[in-house]
Amino acid sequence: MTDIRTLLAAVLGVILGLLCLLAPEAVVRAQTVGRRPDGRGGEYGTDADSDRWRRLVQVLGGGCLLLGLYFGYTTLW
Amino acid sequence: MRHVGLKARMAVVGSILFGFYAVAAVVVMGVFQWPLALVLLGSVLFVGVQYKIGKWMALRSVGAEDLPEERAPDLHRRVESLSRDMGIDKPRLMIASMGVPNAFAVGRKGAGTVVVSQELLRTLDDDEVEGVLAHELAHIRNRDVVMMVLGQGIASIVAIVAQWAVLLTGDNDIADFFLAIVVGQLTQMLVMLFVFAISRYREYVADSDAAAEIGSGEPLARALEKISSGAQRRDGEVDAQVNALCIFDDRGGLANLLATHPPVEKRIERLRSR
Repeated sequence: MTDIRTLLAAVLGVILGLLCLLAPEAVVRAQTVGRRPDGRGGEYGTDADSDRWRRLVQVLGGGCLLLGLYFGYTTLW
Repeated sequence: MRHVGLKARMAVVGSILFGFYAVAAVVVMGVFQWPLALVLLGSVLFVGVQYKIGKWMALRSVGAEDLPEERAPDLHRRVESLSRDMGIDKPRLMIASMGVPNAFAVGRKGAGTVVVSQELLRTLDDDEVEGVLAHELAHIRNRDVVMMVLGQGIASIVAIVAQWAVLLTGDNDIADFFLAIVVGQLTQMLVMLFVFAISRYREYVADSDAAAEIGSGEPLARALEKISSGAQRRDGEVDAQVNALCIFDDRGGLANLLATHPPVEKRIERLRSR
């Protein structure tokens, strides 16, 4: 029988993974707004973040995507 | 009545954030049997600590130093005059080497700090710097920094509660741990969408206030134009690999939804059309 929570983990994991891979700046921003000055890695009047943080989020997103796919595979097959 | 549009938007976004917070509070009261007073006290402490640590970290992260009056008397005079006109106490003025032209405000009315980067002072003319300073002082006067900290605090509280709710209702296997982390992150993103929306509008309001204070939107528009054209030149040389994966970087509809600042071109256009 399909475990709903594991399936949910798979679906949401893939969504978060894709979000981290495709929009890493938005993920960094969601964690740093109100905690860190704007545009530290960018410029005044923008909210660009540094490459280092974007890359880290993309790496974590890749891991999240793989885990999501793994849980999806183990649940459905 | 000043800033009617902002007040109306704050009422809508504030109600939505309160809704998220209320759900989180009810879950904590139900699951942990905490009384309402304890939930409220814990929330205030959480946001208060975030505010204090956030201010300290923001200054520390850029290595900001006090800018003595004798080193930049003109800049101090401008800030003092603008603060007086805007009806706020003169904030602490600090300088930092950030590698890029930048400026930001932290703190609240009466205890604010404005940090400018050395690169900004080198890049801009005096009247453009005044436009930037007026914009930052408007952020302090309009309590934008406090609002962002409050928004982030609510998003964090809701995310933590969502994460624990998943953990406590599961079997504690690896998929449950993963689900809890993912739900926490996605919840934070969802709540922050509303904080981003109000942040973008607050930027326009700060621009408009700055223009009103210095009598024209042109200096700030020129400052934004100068800085953004410099950034575009640099962008051609750096982070091509990272940008290749960032499909939202062209600032389309979804990119705007996930940004804290409106597009620079739109800000310049609005400043010039005043």
